[in-house]
Amino acid sequence: MSQLDSKIATVTASEPMARAPRRRRTSVFWLALPLGVIAVLVVFLPMTGLLHDPGQTDLGNTLAPPGFLSGGSWSHPLGTDKLGQDVLAQLVEGGRLTLFIGLVGALVSIGPGTLMGVLAGYFRGWVDVVISRLIDAQLALPFILIALAIIANRGSSLPILFLVLALTGWAPCARVTRSVAMTVRERQFVLGLRAAGASEARIVLRHIVPNLAGTIVALGTLQVGTAILVESALSFLGLGIVPPDISWGAMLAAGQDVLSRAWWVALFPGLAITLVVLLVNLLGDALLTHHDPRKRRH
Amino acid sequence: MPALPALLDVRGLTITATLPGREVTLLDDVDLQVRAGEVVGVVGESGSGKTTLARSVVGLLERNVSVAGGAIDLVGETVAAPGLDRTETVRGSSVGMVFQDASRSLNPLMRVRRALGEVLKRHVPGIDARDVAARSADVLRKMRIEDPERVLDSYPHQLSGGLRQRVAIGLAVVTNPALVIADECTTALDVTTQAEVVTLFRHLVDELGVGLLFVTHDLMLASDLCDRIAVMYAGRVVEDDATDTVLGSPTEDYTRRLLEAVPHWSEGEPAAHG
Repeated sequence: MSQLDSKIATVTASEPMARAPRRRRTSVFWLALPLGVIAVLVVFLPMTGLLHDPGQTDLGNTLAPPGFLSGGSWSHPLGTDKLGQDVLAQLVEGGRLTLFIGLVGALVSIGPGTLMGVLAGYFRGWVDVVISRLIDAQLALPFILIALAIIANRGSSLPILFLVLALTGWAPCARVTRSVAMTVRERQFVLGLRAAGASEARIVLRHIVPNLAGTIVALGTLQVGTAILVESALSFLGLGIVPPDISWGAMLAAGQDVLSRAWWVALFPGLAITLVVLLVNLLGDALLTHHDPRKRRH
Repeated sequence: MPALPALLDVRGLTITATLPGREVTLLDDVDLQVRAGEVVGVVGESGSGKTTLARSVVGLLERNVSVAGGAIDLVGETVAAPGLDRTETVRGSSVGMVFQDASRSLNPLMRVRRALGEVLKRHVPGIDARDVAARSADVLRKMRIEDPERVLDSYPHQLSGGLRQRVAIGLAVVTNPALVIADECTTALDVTTQAEVVTLFRHLVDELGVGLLFVTHDLMLASDLCDRIAVMYAGRVVEDDATDTVLGSPTEDYTRRLLEAVPHWSEGEPAAHG
């Protein structure tokens, strides 16, 4: 001690905490806000009684133009479809199912995706080889082919739709979580945990996965957008949601054959899909940047 | 002290790494003993095998690295030998380990209280919540932390580097292991904090009677703390004797050169440590 105790100036600078720039926080907020508003609207608007019954047909008033066009009536602000159903009411009702499919579809694909990715990234070795080849194989298959094969076999229903979403969505999630898990496992505290005798299961579940939380949330957000697009594409092809159930994709399909006479039947659900998916993707990107391990200092 | 049986007895330990197409010897016929209440320094340059030696005791070797010869005995039981790996039974219970960089050796998402509690619950079967809290606070007090309750409720990033390293040492000793291994655990600290940690280790060894294996490249630090020093070079222990003997009359050429490499050693001035 003698030599070290004396004559040495203290340089214990307090370490600055890693903080994301303020701008990033607000961009996440401003993207999440309109999504929240849309979600609240589609859930609560039907309860207010201001809308028509989305399933109520009126064959005397089919393909009525929106209220803001000549010949339109404000009793149907976005017009009616070929059965005389109110497009606005359908849009809100379809939004419920579409957002629900987006959320559940994201959950069913990030669940297995994260599990596989973390296992591959943490254990490496043959586990990694097997899972990585599965990911490659999955990514090589066009999703529409998988969807066709499953739906042709099992018919179309919500559970089947979620199965398709899980099958097509897990691989990209697994690929990202794998690489992040690989960087987390190299961090020294993992070595410390092993030296302290912690079991592998505990290290993975209690220590690795929580450190991936930011990435998982960001991936899940992006996956919501993907799920909505997949649902819309399948419904458009008549493989997803079929009448009398309504989703934005199903509305697109219904509006397709009257597009030249009544563009509003397809346009509004199309705009809704574009807006929501765009917002969700921008939000996911913002979150992903926010949680990029390369931009973090720990 | 020679009357005590060795806590850690490394005998003829040879460790090899399998690389594509060839085998590399990382440790070559290494002998080393650590007794209770004794601090043994392992000194050597990067790549001399000191970290491999430290990690082999707790079985934290890379996948392609294995024990090819010799044995490691811990508290009278063989824990590692060719084809034998019982290190899992001693991790965290008989051996505690402290790593290089304390800022990264704690999970950033866990408060200190939970990190300590997790280790205690694993190694002390049937311990209740009150005992966990009491022992956690107690071990931090032993680390000379004045307000253990505040530190227990902190996340690692809220603590200074010195405090974090004390917490990391606390994590290693909270289960009362017989042996503590410190692997370059002062390297990332500034010199003042280094001195504090060294003093802390000395107290721990004197008060708790643990054996300490102190791995460092810093000869000065080792000479301050250690009772014995083993000098490693290219996977071999080239010199192993009482600190004064190693520093005062080194028998090996390499040790002499290592001593000469310490600036101002002869004047007893503090060197500029990285």
